[in-house]
Amino acid sequence: MVTRRGFLGTGAAAAASGLVGVAAGAGATNASASQNLETFVAKRELSFHGEHQMGIEADLQAVTNFIALDIKPGTNKASMLRFMSLITDDIQRLTRGEPVLADPAPELAIGAARFSAYVGFGPSLFSKLGLQAMQPEGFHELPAFKVDKLQEQFSGGDVLIHVAADDPIVLAHGTRGLVRDSMPFASVRYVQSGFAHTPGMVPAGITHRNLMGQVDGTANPKFGTKDFDSVVWIDEGPTWIQGGTLLTFRRIAMQLDTWDQLGTPSKEEVIGRKLSNGAPLTGDNESDTPDLAARHPNGLTVIPDFAHIRRAAPAKDGERIFRRPFSYDAGISSSGSVDVGLLWTAYQRNMDEQFIPIQKRLDELDLLNSWTVPIGSAEFAVAGGVESGEVIAEALFS
Amino acid sequence: MRKFSILVAAVLVLAGCSAEPEVAATDLWVKSSESSLAGGMTAVYGTLTNNTSADIVLTGGKTDAAGVTEVHEMAMINGQMKMQEIDGGLTIPAGQSIELEPGGNHLMLMQLTADLLAGDEISVTFSFTGAADLLVDGIVAKPAEGGDEEYHSTEMDMDN
Repeated sequence: MVTRRGFLGTGAAAAASGLVGVAAGAGATNASASQNLETFVAKRELSFHGEHQMGIEADLQAVTNFIALDIKPGTNKASMLRFMSLITDDIQRLTRGEPVLADPAPELAIGAARFSAYVGFGPSLFSKLGLQAMQPEGFHELPAFKVDKLQEQFSGGDVLIHVAADDPIVLAHGTRGLVRDSMPFASVRYVQSGFAHTPGMVPAGITHRNLMGQVDGTANPKFGTKDFDSVVWIDEGPTWIQGGTLLTFRRIAMQLDTWDQLGTPSKEEVIGRKLSNGAPLTGDNESDTPDLAARHPNGLTVIPDFAHIRRAAPAKDGERIFRRPFSYDAGISSSGSVDVGLLWTAYQRNMDEQFIPIQKRLDELDLLNSWTVPIGSAEFAVAGGVESGEVIAEALFS
Repeated sequence: MRKFSILVAAVLVLAGCSAEPEVAATDLWVKSSESSLAGGMTAVYGTLTNNTSADIVLTGGKTDAAGVTEVHEMAMINGQMKMQEIDGGLTIPAGQSIELEPGGNHLMLMQLTADLLAGDEISVTFSFTGAADLLVDGIVAKPAEGGDEEYHSTEMDMDN
């Protein structure tokens, strides 16, 4: 068999791989540059140690698993600490693209691929272990919302390990290692798998497009800013949660059969943004601030009263969240209806002051509710970050 | 875990400022399973590297975690994989590494003195001919599947 590379020769193959512009005539250089381009995903690492756990203040990876676990009867604080020490060591190795200790298939550790994992704890864990006094402020099970059609199989959980990577094999192998080390302490409640764009598909920092076609996550606080810190990272309360955050995790099903019956203008009015580039209906660019007061000559507001971005806009200072939504695709029915939606996440300091008031407004009125249905829901308090030699949530279980 | 890391760091610092250790142990772990309860057995795995220019022989070890410590191999005996003590110990050739791994050579711990649970840590002193004893702290117990045949004692093997 003649491969394209063998047939074209090294220089031509490098050009064919998209490396146009690399100096010609140095065949060896081109070959190694081509190699680098092909394996750049494998080499990219995210940093594990720091003030915060990893995988939150970071660009979306290509694939993800939300692994929810329920602790076994008899699991106590001491065993949770042993559990977390195993998981901490595993994550640290996986982020470097290395096999976990005792990996039965170390040959599958083929690269870092921006692997990330963080650990959070559901309200049920605090009650099971009698740790209510350590529960962060503004953290509890969500109230019921009218729009909710929640299913047990997608909801709740004592412990969440949220993993993500730019490669599906790296994700699957890392997931297996983390689950294996969880089994002495817990059983799997659910694993919800999702995805975003492949690396190189959109420039870094560009907002992800969801399966309804919308640019999703526009009004997010920017990474590395004081604004991000003030929306997301907790800096008070019990030691273990300082540097941590509160996660609201919702599985939101999209009704694409009916959504696709709408024309572009209707779809844009439902959201209040243009489908083409995510700009508000009152602006030209995604980054433009929506003008909620602007009216058409006929007196109607340009961004309608029922529009999602109007209803989701903060009613007061601080009423904001950081969203990092992945998409899911759970198959297609025999009649051709797709089972797709979002593994939607909101990160915040205090659910009572951030997600809940926003969601209450959306629950009362948001035309988008006609096509988006929350079918899973969970809350997790994500422990602060660790330095070398520390164990995740050590202060909670010591 | 904090203690573990400090100890490992201390070993690394010593290794860095003096000559290389004669034998380096990396990624050691001990198996946690239903067999690793008090009175039961388990095994230590990982990599041992001989940094010297002469062969070194792993002859056994000592640990507070177990009453008996032996160097074992898996061998084909009468068409079946069986575990047995290695006569004369396990040679680590000059400048090379050996792997202790499930289904292969391992340091067997028998008559465990306490339940060994996932995430527990033990200390083991490895004994050699041709090198000084090597104490390794913070060997973590990892849940692992399979390889239960390794835990058949010599007596049980003789019964088989």
